[in-house]
Amino acid sequence: MTNDIAGLDKSDVALIIGSDTSEAHPVIAARLKKAARKGKLKIIVIDPKEIRMADYAEIYTCQRPGTDVAVLNGMMHLIIKNGWEDKKFIEERCEGYEALKEEVDKFTPEYVERISGIPAATLEKIAELFGKAETAALYYAMGITQHTTGIDNVKSTANLQMLCGNMGKVGGGVNPLRGQSNVQGACDMGGLPNVFTAYQKVGDAPVQEKFERFWGVSLSDKPGIPMTVAFDKAYDGEMKAFYIMGENPMISDPDLHHAEAALKKLEFLVVEDIFLTETAKLADVVLPASTYAEKSGTFTNTERRVQLLFEAVKAPGEAKHDWQIHQMLANKMGQNWNFGNAREIFEEIRKCTPSYAGMTYERLGFNGLQWPCPTEEHPGTPVLHIGKFTRGLGLMTAIPFKAPAEMPDADYPLYLTTGRILQQFHTGTMSRKSPGLNNLAGPHAMISVQDAEAIGVKNSEKVKVTTRRGSIVTTAFITKRCPKGTVYVPFHFAEAPANALTINALDPVAKIPEYKVCACKIEKV
Amino acid sequence: MISSQISTRIRELAKRYPQKESVLLPALMLAQKENKNVLSKQDIGNVADIIGVTHSKAYGVATFYTMYNVKDMTGTYHIQVDTNIPATLMGAKKILAHLERKLGIKAGQTTPDGLFTLSEVECLASCGTCPVIQVNDVYYENLTIEKTDALIDSLRKGVMPDRKTEYFWGTTCNVLLKNRGLENSTSIGVYRKNGGYKALEKARTMSPEQIALAVKDSGIKGRGGAGFPAGLKWSFLPKNHGKPVYLICNADEGEPGTYKDRQIMEYDPHLLIEGIAISASALGCKLAFIYIRGEFDWIADILDKAIDEAKAGGQLKDMDIIVHRGAGAYVCGEETALIESIEGKRGQPRIKPPFPAVQGLYGCPTIVNNVETLASVPFIIEKGADEFRKIDFKIFGISGNVNKPGCYEYPIGTSFKDLIAAAGGVKGKLKAAIVGGLSVAILKADELEDLVMDYESCARKGTALGSGGIIVINDEWSIPELALRSMEFYAHESCGKCTPCKEGSRITVKILEKILKGQGTSADLANVERLVGTIKGLTLCPVGEAFSTPIRAMVEKFRPEFEKLLTN
Amino acid sequence: MQISMNGTSIGAKPGQTIFQAARDNGIFIPTLCYHDKVGAAGKCRVCVVEIEGMNGLQTSCSVEVREGMRIQTRTEKVINAQKLVVDLLLSTGTHDCIACDQNGKCELQNAAYYLGLERGSLNYGVPEKDMDESSEFVFVDRNKCISCGRCVAACNGTVVNEVLDFKYRGNKVDIAFDDDLPMGKSSCVQCGECSQICPVGAITDRNSRGKARHWEVEKVYSVCPYCGVGCKLELHVDRKANKIIRVNGVEGAPTNDGMLCVKGRYGYDFVGHEERLRNPLIKNPDGTFRDASWDEAIDLVSRKFFEIKSKHGADSIMGMCSAKATNEENYTFQKLFRQVIGTNNIDHCARL
Repeated sequence: MTNDIAGLDKSDVALIIGSDTSEAHPVIAARLKKAARKGKLKIIVIDPKEIRMADYAEIYTCQRPGTDVAVLNGMMHLIIKNGWEDKKFIEERCEGYEALKEEVDKFTPEYVERISGIPAATLEKIAELFGKAETAALYYAMGITQHTTGIDNVKSTANLQMLCGNMGKVGGGVNPLRGQSNVQGACDMGGLPNVFTAYQKVGDAPVQEKFERFWGVSLSDKPGIPMTVAFDKAYDGEMKAFYIMGENPMISDPDLHHAEAALKKLEFLVVEDIFLTETAKLADVVLPASTYAEKSGTFTNTERRVQLLFEAVKAPGEAKHDWQIHQMLANKMGQNWNFGNAREIFEEIRKCTPSYAGMTYERLGFNGLQWPCPTEEHPGTPVLHIGKFTRGLGLMTAIPFKAPAEMPDADYPLYLTTGRILQQFHTGTMSRKSPGLNNLAGPHAMISVQDAEAIGVKNSEKVKVTTRRGSIVTTAFITKRCPKGTVYVPFHFAEAPANALTINALDPVAKIPEYKVCACKIEKV
Repeated sequence: MISSQISTRIRELAKRYPQKESVLLPALMLAQKENKNVLSKQDIGNVADIIGVTHSKAYGVATFYTMYNVKDMTGTYHIQVDTNIPATLMGAKKILAHLERKLGIKAGQTTPDGLFTLSEVECLASCGTCPVIQVNDVYYENLTIEKTDALIDSLRKGVMPDRKTEYFWGTTCNVLLKNRGLENSTSIGVYRKNGGYKALEKARTMSPEQIALAVKDSGIKGRGGAGFPAGLKWSFLPKNHGKPVYLICNADEGEPGTYKDRQIMEYDPHLLIEGIAISASALGCKLAFIYIRGEFDWIADILDKAIDEAKAGGQLKDMDIIVHRGAGAYVCGEETALIESIEGKRGQPRIKPPFPAVQGLYGCPTIVNNVETLASVPFIIEKGADEFRKIDFKIFGISGNVNKPGCYEYPIGTSFKDLIAAAGGVKGKLKAAIVGGLSVAILKADELEDLVMDYESCARKGTALGSGGIIVINDEWSIPELALRSMEFYAHESCGKCTPCKEGSRITVKILEKILKGQGTSADLANVERLVGTIKGLTLCPVGEAFSTPIRAMVEKFRPEFEKLLTN
Repeated sequence: MQISMNGTSIGAKPGQTIFQAARDNGIFIPTLCYHDKVGAAGKCRVCVVEIEGMNGLQTSCSVEVREGMRIQTRTEKVINAQKLVVDLLLSTGTHDCIACDQNGKCELQNAAYYLGLERGSLNYGVPEKDMDESSEFVFVDRNKCISCGRCVAACNGTVVNEVLDFKYRGNKVDIAFDDDLPMGKSSCVQCGECSQICPVGAITDRNSRGKARHWEVEKVYSVCPYCGVGCKLELHVDRKANKIIRVNGVEGAPTNDGMLCVKGRYGYDFVGHEERLRNPLIKNPDGTFRDASWDEAIDLVSRKFFEIKSKHGADSIMGMCSAKATNEENYTFQKLFRQVIGTNNIDHCARL
């Protein structure tokens, strides 16, 4: 998030697109709902499903999956046409406006309606409410990113917010809601193939030199490969070993059959986890690790806030903290690491991570600190890009619309889209160990009333969902919240894994799979 | 089931209000009327969905107000017998007992054929014409055993008899009851012919400040019961706040012994409308409300019609008046509870401050005035503040054991004796009277001897003029019994928001029941005194005081009667 | 500013209520319905005080301090009023503390203790009410409900799930879920905000019942392991049993201000789950696993990595770090790959 959670009630308007906020980020949803009910906030929801947040929205509209660029371009078309854009902001702080303007020129409401299914008149209302707002925020989650056009979608959200001058101010911003407790931190710590900590580029000479000096070895300056590509390479026999810490790709990866085949072809698979997960079962060595409650350390949340965890219980048996395992391995492999505890690691992180440099465990205290926090005097940064973008001028990009990789056709006439539900989490490694949570939510497919009638299936009956990759049998959950022509399957369940259905089509740059759109058919079982 | 006509009607009605939630009370009533007088859970949910409020909120509202029948079944005819104090004094319990025998059911039950449901209800504001029964929406007053039989027989034949009310009334002031006896007194024609809307015409030549000043100079005290000077209340409106101002006419007449506002609205609605129009122009209000108790359905219709006439006649130029019907809750006479009720909520009082003048309806500056207060404004404007101060007219509602119970318009300052004489004198021997509506301290016969009915004299006697509802009690009545019946009323009407009132009222009932059963001890009586002694001033709203004051006075002044019932 | 409380001058901040000023200065005023998050309700009437120059009793939760205000919190009148309120509650509900999960944290118990009331004295019958055990995680005992309204205010005003409200009136007032459904059948999403904010034992966490009393647990701050909002947790831990007993949201935390979702509050079973891995495992040739020592496992992994690296190059090894591990652990993981193994092949499931 460019902005902070506490400031979200400062907005006049919030656009929620591609985020089932009350299911996936319930506490942020609560704050938005409160701001809408008790404060001045007006919410716009654009989503294929009529999600719960729609109940709190001024305007809700249903879009076809995979049409975000068209919708956002359509909004920008209307905003420019009506002169609601922030001319001063564009002039002083952005570049690329002319190209953007030219591109969105053809996205008339009627054209957007043909692509997205959003009535032209509704789009006009949305553009007016958003465009005229003094301060508007934009929230999204994987509904924007998990597309073959993920990067395009993200850039479009940035285009819109720059166009309206909503960047670098309280109550505005582009706010991706991150889906896991420390996904932000994992990125910040250099858990990506092309960057070291704090997004310092691999291959950038001064950076390479800095880390070589810091770690006392010479380092590869060749960016690594992303995981989605690594699976293909493993499948092709090019990749020999995987070391997986606390992830379960056997549930979370697209096209699971492919993923399983890839992992089985590896020469050596190490999995470090708290349970013998679906992935761990395929491993050659399994290393027992600790849960959040068993360790001290820090998580960085979606608003870039670094917060402390403290050890509450002891890990079972001989299970260790992940860092202890890494240290044992490093030392076995010839290094001489000497970390005594998490705090000492954090002290090292500070030294090589400019955005964390000003943080200490003492300073993190009760509230934590939001990066960038470059010095020990720096109060942290609740809102990014105030006065100036990190890169200087904000780059507006003309984004043409591209259709998803696989569209419904005669054989597979429905859209399949996947995602989360409130009561379960990700691959289920944690949440599915709770009998209570399992009682509240088991595997299911959300189906529209019309599509259910068409195949003669009733609520709670079994239904088979099939795509070109495979099929699953699950329970039908028939709801008015699902539009005709779209099936929604949550991906948490190993016994009916949504990712046996999804397509392994990736965004060309981000390599993110298109979990949100493919074609499927349903049958009564 | 809610038909599409009703749901359309609800949506239309919602548009009249600044906030759609306000339509919840009327909407629930529409749904109930459409469904054989029963409000099912499902219909409550449907109404909630139509309006866009939560199910729990709608359910909470539906179970708060007594007029919603949230149950499986109500008889075709819902026979509701008022047994509150004035009614009891005037024989209502006999009528109820008779009905129980005749229908073969107890209060709270429905006959097996589904024709009748019998209920014992609280004050219907018909204290001068008790015993009174409300059948569905219709009042039948001045009942006797014979009239009750005739009523039931007629209902059995499927015929709702015409309602007919015969009051005793009188006026020496000729202001508020001036048109009371005229044919067609509710019509704008008759009202205008008798000089109506002259004051409004005059007010239009005055500045808002001049009108407000006249009202302030008149010194008129709020006629609802609290007696707070109306002009002073108006002056609490903040200046330059940029928000709309609302004027609410409090027509939730529910204080037992009080049935005066009804006289004005039922027989001279334009007097009230004129008063509202003048006051609204003084306050800068464009939308006024008349919050009328739901049982006064036909009176609300009279008001609606009169408002339409006034609008057509150009009397309401740049303003509107919404008649908002309550649904059965005494506490909504309290101004913040009333505001909550208009907002479509459970009628529970708010913490003050902020006072309504600063933050009232929809969070905007709001003035709440009683019907009688507002109906007095045309006189003040037309004749001037000095003239008002000379007369200081007020309607006294006299009920209980008098020969001619009714409403009498006399100047404040008239002696108690003269008022009772006007009401035909006491039936039997005077034992005591409650002179300001049920919620004030009872006075014994000797205290009434020299009582003058004005605010100060009443205060000196340790009671209050209140709403001017005088309940006369003769020596046939036991005070402990009346104390219990009074307490039952307050416990029934406690909104349940604050602990002392919610639990204290019920416990006090329980103790008085025990004492009246002859099972009480001096410790029990001491508990009553502890409760009413401590609760006064401890509750969120005046209801705590409303029951602790009279019960305390009854115990103090008639202690031997209570002690006689004790086992030790 | 300075105000006087019970004859002692104390400091107070403008805009504060008397209750808040007293609390900041360590002066106990009992209260049942007030909570910082839902504000003053003025319902319980137990926080009353006397203020010089003002008639009668005033609720300290709703009256703001003014410079020089003189307040008494323990006059006879105040104590009598407070005693009556608490007596009424003790007399009209079933407030048996013996096995109550709220014992030690109960605000009614605190008030009764402060006033020296062992039990209610107004014994004129206690209406019996429902227990609602229909919800997976939340236990509702209406016999202990004092209808303070905190849960209703929180459900509607804080988490805005809009499930709870009051039904009926007078002493029949009770909490209702939707159209008066059992909690487990209602639209409740079981965020547990009502349980956390309940001052008494009327709404409690079902899985915590009977596990440990409040004074037996140690409270440890943590951060929720589920989504990326970073809700701050207060883990209630029985150190001897090495168990999490309960999870609360931390009031005043910048991320969640006490709020949690059903997973964060109740989804902690996995921590102490019997299927947790307790030691390293090495796969047998037949595909089964055998237990191994750390030495053996680490030895094997390092050997294999060396082997593959020397045969196929460091870039034939891929590391997946974890969005559920700490910053420190992700740092050491990528350092292991970059510094020790010698590849930038590190990624994680940020995209999944």
